[in-house]
Amino acid sequence: MNLAQFKRILLQVFLLPVIGLLLTAGALYWQFRGSNATVDLIQTSDSRIAQATLIAKLVVDEESGLRGYETTSDPRFLEPFNDAEQHIEAEFQKLDALAGSDAEQKTTIEDLRNEHQTWRDAFALPVIATVRAGGETNDVDLNLYGKSLMDQVKQDLTTLIERENVRRSVRVSEWHQQGKNMLEALLAIALGMGILIGLFTRSRLHAVSAAYRMSLEVLSRRAEEIFQSEQRLRTTLASIGDGVVTCDAEGRIQMMNPVACELTGWSQAEATERPLEEVFRIVNEVTREPLETPVAKVKRLNSVVALANHTALIRKDGTELIIADSGAPIRDQTGATIGIVLVFRDITMERRTQEALLANEKLAVAGRLAATIAHEIHNPLDSVSNLLYLMRNGCSEEESKQFMEMAGQELARVTQISRAMLGLYRESKAPVPVNLNEMLHETLLLMDHRFMELGVKVRADLPEGLEVEAFPAELRQVFTNLITNAAEAASPGGEVRICASPVPASIALSGQKMPGGVRVTIADSGPGIPAEVRPHLFQPFFTTKGERGTGLGLWVSRGIINKHGGTIELSSETGESSHGTVVSVTLATKPGIATAVA
Amino acid sequence: MAKKSHLILCVDDELVGLRVRKLLLERAGYRVLTALDGNTGLEIFKAEPVEAVVLDYSMPGMHGGEVASLMRQAKPEIPILLLSAYIGLPTEVTSVVNLYMTKGEGAPLLLKKLGTLLEHGVSAP
Repeated sequence: MNLAQFKRILLQVFLLPVIGLLLTAGALYWQFRGSNATVDLIQTSDSRIAQATLIAKLVVDEESGLRGYETTSDPRFLEPFNDAEQHIEAEFQKLDALAGSDAEQKTTIEDLRNEHQTWRDAFALPVIATVRAGGETNDVDLNLYGKSLMDQVKQDLTTLIERENVRRSVRVSEWHQQGKNMLEALLAIALGMGILIGLFTRSRLHAVSAAYRMSLEVLSRRAEEIFQSEQRLRTTLASIGDGVVTCDAEGRIQMMNPVACELTGWSQAEATERPLEEVFRIVNEVTREPLETPVAKVKRLNSVVALANHTALIRKDGTELIIADSGAPIRDQTGATIGIVLVFRDITMERRTQEALLANEKLAVAGRLAATIAHEIHNPLDSVSNLLYLMRNGCSEEESKQFMEMAGQELARVTQISRAMLGLYRESKAPVPVNLNEMLHETLLLMDHRFMELGVKVRADLPEGLEVEAFPAELRQVFTNLITNAAEAASPGGEVRICASPVPASIALSGQKMPGGVRVTIADSGPGIPAEVRPHLFQPFFTTKGERGTGLGLWVSRGIINKHGGTIELSSETGESSHGTVVSVTLATKPGIATAVA
Repeated sequence: MAKKSHLILCVDDELVGLRVRKLLLERAGYRVLTALDGNTGLEIFKAEPVEAVVLDYSMPGMHGGEVASLMRQAKPEIPILLLSAYIGLPTEVTSVVNLYMTKGEGAPLLLKKLGTLLEHGVSAP
């Protein structure tokens, strides 16, 4: 149930009693009006009865006045008659008016008037005139006649009053009935309304209570879900293999998972509420300079950050671990940073493994060259030893000179090869200027025989004066790798082209500033690399050479070139007419190489 | 030391080494024919009455092993001495030739082995 529905119910519960009471009041009013009308009718009856009684009194006054005058002939006795005579017409009219539209009463009143008129005209007035004239009026017949007229008048009046009395009692009982009806109706309406309001309110309350119960259920379910979800997250966090530390917005530690405790050497209880810098002390592995904590970095950049390479974590006991880490802001709904989460892991083993792999690959490169080198050294040595033998067994001076020259040439060849080979192993701690032309020529020299074996023609276009700062042994390793790959791909009968050219400083499409440098491209006319294989080329242990390859060559090469701040790119075509692979290595003239242990 | 002026065929892609070896063998009293690759060597081998072959293993195109087996098909009785700058050649290569030695073992050993080979070759049918 939503709020709008709830409000509607409230309104219904308020309005229904009001409407019910209004209806009840309406019914009562209607009943009351009916009752009022009945009371009016009763009053009308009363007025008619009173009026008829008044007329009856006047008639009696007239009759008794007339009788007095008849007996005494004294006009004073006639006064009541005259008084009544004066008023009676008006009173008759009043009575008639009171009768309203009552036809029966009107007829009776008409009769009454007529009979009174007849009594007056035919008896009273002649009697008065006779008395006044001094005549005799005690004739029995005449008086009987007058009496019979008067009796009719009185009879009519009695009829009128009785009839009206009957009506009145009918109306009174009607009024009583109405009162009773009203009471009953009132009871019925009150009962009906009460039940209606009760039932309605009950049903509405049921709806509200159902909604309330449902809300409670939903709430408790939500609470349970939240609890479960929190448990899940907590367990995930605890069992995750990386160290996780959460801080508040000020960088105070709120929580550390077991791995984080193990890596830092701090227990959760010790670390809680301490500033991160105190627990998570990191320095540059090489320069030993303290590094900005991820919290500071996240706060500064307000986004997810990954930490720099070569980060060493100093544990509580002073031992060190090499770690990789990242930090991310925790935001509330408005997007404000309310905390920072830091994830890190121990990469010491990973680093050692990587170093071992690199050393292994370096050996493999040398190993692959060993046969070539042996050949290159044994051939001149064979010639030299043969020449020495010839000279020892006696020869002319001219021959001797010639032999010595040949021996010298052959020895120079050995020296050159040996130097080139040493170059592969010479370690340097810092980058030194490297003459690429020289280096590539030396590399080609070492591989010369291999090219011949593979039946590959090599063309080199290497201008003078191309110099970059680099670790020479490593670059040699890269070029030996790449050229070997190219030669093996082009074999047999193919061609390998090696070109070097300067690259001016530029701005890349991504907006990144690219420093000036040298691009070396190694292209072969081999069958090319299928598109489905290409994405895997730079992955470690991926090889297309079966047992002969370590699967590390390109991976290591890319690592070395990246370390030199350069790029290595590969494109390949496998078409019928044009096929081959081109590898471009771009090296910066002055790269910002971190002087790390190679 | 044999002084019977045997005709020897030297095949090697190393020009200097070949020249020196030719001189050495000539001094030792052999007549020497040279070839800079396997194909030329085979042609000479078929055309000339060569009595022994000194063959380099590592050559472009066709390596010594292949050249030796082709020579065996043509004239199986001619002894072949395989020279190599490598150590540990596959057995399918070394089994084809009569003798196998590593370059740089020295001229006396070469001459001695060649002499032995020729003697065996002569003593053979």
